Amino acid sequence: MSAERLHDILWRENRAQAEECLAHPFVHGLDDGSLDPDEFKRYVAQDAFFLRAFFSAYALAAVRAVERVEVVERLHGLMRGVLNELKLHEGYAARLGIDVVNVQPHPATRAYTDFLLRVAWTAEVGEIIAAMTPCMRLYAYLGQELAVGDHSQNPYREWIVTYSSEEFEALARELESLLDQLADGTREVRSAYRYAMRCELEFFSASLTEGW
Amino acid sequence: MKEFTESRLASGSGELWDPATRAKFLDAVGDGSLPEETFNRWLGQDYLFVRNFAVFASLAVAKAPRPGQSVLIAGLSALDDEVDWFEAHARARSLDLGAELHPACQRYVDFLITAGYSEPFEVALAIFYGVEVAYTVAWGRLGAEGPYAEFIERWTHKDFQAYVRLLLKLADEHPHPRQQAMFNEVMRHERDFWRMTWEG
Repeated sequence: MSAERLHDILWRENRAQAEECLAHPFVHGLDDGSLDPDEFKRYVAQDAFFLRAFFSAYALAAVRAVERVEVVERLHGLMRGVLNELKLHEGYAARLGIDVVNVQPHPATRAYTDFLLRVAWTAEVGEIIAAMTPCMRLYAYLGQELAVGDHSQNPYREWIVTYSSEEFEALARELESLLDQLADGTREVRSAYRYAMRCELEFFSASLTEGW
Repeated sequence: MKEFTESRLASGSGELWDPATRAKFLDAVGDGSLPEETFNRWLGQDYLFVRNFAVFASLAVAKAPRPGQSVLIAGLSALDDEVDWFEAHARARSLDLGAELHPACQRYVDFLITAGYSEPFEVALAIFYGVEVAYTVAWGRLGAEGPYAEFIERWTHKDFQAYVRLLLKLADEHPHPRQQAMFNEVMRHERDFWRMTWEG
């Protein structure tokens, strides 16, 4: 039997937090379609702000790995994934009439992007990847869990379809494979992964409690 | 202190200003009733904060045009002295300075380091001013007496106030549309930091 890989270990160690996200009222509201449309709009705007930081973090990771062309190319593939996600948000923005460019970040959003970018500017590439993996793995997990039900009448089915798609799963796996390749199970790496997962949970909570 | 409380950025921060510069922790420092354990916790976190603030200050120095750079370099040098001073106090109190950053302190530090790298000089300056002015006003409300007199004296000293005045002048000379929003972020972090020192 092969040894457990780092991404499996970290997911297992933080599984309880991921399940907390799945059970979160916001995610539940996406699942049964009962989420207040205004809350969803706020979430989309905040998520667009977040994704721009997430994209920057990939770019900074690529700078750190510039001597390894293969790693840079894979990071570029992941960056294209973020750009596609941002296009999805622009689609929502046009339909829902929201501004996803001039966003006033919630404190929870800001804490998350400040953390991500602090790591991206100052840490080794493995730690940067560790800070970014929870977002991708968690969304793939949530999408796939939610996709089990019938969502033909769900106003949020596009969200569920996106994050349960094979394309998104492939992106999450790609990032996890980079994590296995570039990171060790150091205290910093574990702590970055755990903290990012905590930020995800707080991001959902803020989408319910914060205003515009 | 009116020159600071009525300054453009401080008055523009509205209701964030008061909780950033008034705290139960400070009241208890002022009347000498603060338990030593609470004080020591603050000392440990503030030490870690100052070390990281010095990193932010270095990044700001690197972006600063002359002659503003001199003010920031002086500030950075004072922060270095402050780190020494904290270490001496920790030794005198037999405190271990190797504590982990508290989440509130971590968020503040993440904010500063990210801004230090990402923001233009004018915005970094507003942040720099925000951190320093909040401190001088918060401590400036206290009289330098009681068991914590030395600490109160440090941040109410006229040299510290003169330095904050120079930062204010510099910030006013280099306006930027995002200054207020980022100054406000500093006030939020100051508020949360004081709450953390009090509540643990």
